[in-house]
Amino acid sequence: MMTIEKVMAMLGEMKKGEKALIKSISGADRFVRRRLLDLGIAEGAEVCIKCVLPFGGPVMLESCGQCVGIRRREAFRIEVERV
Amino acid sequence: MDIALIGNPNTGKTSLFNNLTGSYEYVGNWSGVTVEKKVGILKNQRDQLIDLPGVYTLNPLSKDEGVVTIFFLNEPFDMLLNILDASQLRRNLHLTIQLLEFGAPIVIGLNMVDVAGNRGIKIDSRNLSACLGVPVVPVVARTGKGCDSLAEMISAEAGQPDIAFEVDYGPAVEKATAALKEKLAGRTKIPARWLAIQFLEGNQYVREFLLNFIGGSELNELLEFVETQLKTDGVKETLEQYMYRKRSEAIETVVARSMVRTEGAGTPLSEKIDRIATNKILGIPLFLLLMYLMFMLTFDWLGFPLSDALDAVITGPVTDWISAGLAAVGASEFINALILDGIVAGVGGVLVFVPQIFILFFFISLLEDSGYMARVALVMDRVMEAAGLNGKAFIPMMIGFGCNVPGIMAARTIETPKERLLTILLTPLMSCSARLPVYALFAGAFFAGDKALIVLSLYVLGIVVALILAKIFSITVLKGETSLFVIELPPYRVPQIQALWRSTWEKGKGFVKKAGTFIFAGSVLIWLLSYAGPGGLKVPMDDSYLAMIGGIFAPIFAPIGFGTWQAGASLLTGFLAKESIISTMNIIYFVPDEATLQGLLSQHFTPLAAYSFMVFILLYVPCLATAATIYKETGSRRWTAFSIGYALLIAYLLSFIVYQGGKLAGWA
Repeated sequence: MMTIEKVMAMLGEMKKGEKALIKSISGADRFVRRRLLDLGIAEGAEVCIKCVLPFGGPVMLESCGQCVGIRRREAFRIEVERV
Repeated sequence: MDIALIGNPNTGKTSLFNNLTGSYEYVGNWSGVTVEKKVGILKNQRDQLIDLPGVYTLNPLSKDEGVVTIFFLNEPFDMLLNILDASQLRRNLHLTIQLLEFGAPIVIGLNMVDVAGNRGIKIDSRNLSACLGVPVVPVVARTGKGCDSLAEMISAEAGQPDIAFEVDYGPAVEKATAALKEKLAGRTKIPARWLAIQFLEGNQYVREFLLNFIGGSELNELLEFVETQLKTDGVKETLEQYMYRKRSEAIETVVARSMVRTEGAGTPLSEKIDRIATNKILGIPLFLLLMYLMFMLTFDWLGFPLSDALDAVITGPVTDWISAGLAAVGASEFINALILDGIVAGVGGVLVFVPQIFILFFFISLLEDSGYMARVALVMDRVMEAAGLNGKAFIPMMIGFGCNVPGIMAARTIETPKERLLTILLTPLMSCSARLPVYALFAGAFFAGDKALIVLSLYVLGIVVALILAKIFSITVLKGETSLFVIELPPYRVPQIQALWRSTWEKGKGFVKKAGTFIFAGSVLIWLLSYAGPGGLKVPMDDSYLAMIGGIFAPIFAPIGFGTWQAGASLLTGFLAKESIISTMNIIYFVPDEATLQGLLSQHFTPLAAYSFMVFILLYVPCLATAATIYKETGSRRWTAFSIGYALLIAYLLSFIVYQGGKLAGWA
């Protein structure tokens, strides 16, 4: 059980350079969820944190070679599994 | 034949449009450059190509994307040209499938094959074509490679499509389709299946459309029917998610047959640049440094000497030549004065700034084209969020530095109505290129040592005031609605000189054109008003009609440092177009060249009053064209009046603080 606890995380907790698989985006705001789906970032997609801007600023994700910026608040509502 | 060009944002649609039509179209590398439908004629001189805004799906989130859905529902067209980004095939196919469901003939242009290749992705266009049942032509839109065969394919492909591809959404959706088809009973030409799928996915525009034929309760019943049916089948997702998953599954089978992945070539250049451009610590300083360089080049290092040289040409040889010409044809004294003191002074005084304005536009085009603009939006989001806006609002504001009108139109890409309205209201505070001549003139006259810094301070003041007002407005007149921000960051691209020049020219030609029309007519009028007065023609300028009109406003401006009729009159004309301020001053102070005008100005203004005047010009009122655009975009007289009213108020207030505060501090 311990290992599973360790692997699951929220996207917002992740640091620059870390990779993860999206587990659930249903917690995110409806609009953000729609836009992420539009960009092909759905459950099962692998994302990599490219940068985290200071003072609680947005995070930049990379998935399948494309980069997307979302706010950290929203990133904290997306469940991921570290890889 | 009408062909609609459609594709995801940042797939090179506008480049393809330019290559196919040979027309000069505005190209930019950030989501939402195409804010309006644009039409061009294909090189065969027969067919029309309609450039639609970039969308990810036909189910819109922003007003900009809504344009596409409205187009599909209401406008007739004969064929679709769908452009795909080969390096993002899966995401791009979501749109393609919705287009296939619409049932119109389609040709696919597979773009960015080179980018995909670098990332180790190879796409077999023949297999892709076979899977989808539509022609697929590989192209490189930026260089024009493959565009000829695409054009041939378009001409050959008119007629009924042979679409072999269909997504299996399950029996519930198909039943709903059948039910909808029955209810519509052939009252619309749009395929029932497409309408059903879009409606079930929650497309509000399609729902509105269906309400023309079917009652709201019937539509809700249909929706409930599918939802309960899916629930009994054990589907746990929402309907929207379910539809998305079904489409994704279908896409996987297509991708499996047409895409080959090999090893990619190391870290892409984009990522390397982003390590610095969006760096935690360096991001904002880097942006400010770039802005500083841009201003130094525009106002100091490059633009200033160029404008000076042009001024020398206009006031020297050109004026001599015109007066010689006038003497040769024996023009009357009136005509002589009208042309030399009115038109040459007025229009010439504005044209002098063409080099500086083109340099500024060049840099704005460079920011757009390279892909850096989206990074700026990301880096600035935290600051913008504090002001009640989101980072995307920074893009319209940056474009507003060139001209407020396209800036305000670019606000359409902002998804939340409140943030969009705020952006529209505040973009006029961005110092547009038409205000630049005023600064160049005054900064040159009073602050010759640090022109660029003084001008930069005004640009920054505009941004700061906009952010403070955004905060104030968002907690008073525009409350509610949470702020949201998702932005796609396109890969960096080395801008092509040709495309850069095109988009610089596109932006700059408006300025030149305005000088030849609006400013020309304005100059004649202003000169006439300054030439005539209650005492007849050729009165001393202080007794002219212009002095009388300007004099009405003079007392109001006294507390802010420029209570002269000359200032009053130029500010009045500045509402028509900000460049008019300069042409009016040139006529009023009628002097042979810019340098003499600057000398004369120092008799009428103190340096403090000059700065106060520049602050007032920066903020005081959106010009006529901008006010008209605000009205068009908000559709509200009230908000248009508000945008003019608050600007006047804030301009007066700040100029008052600058002037009176400065006097107290002993700077006068």
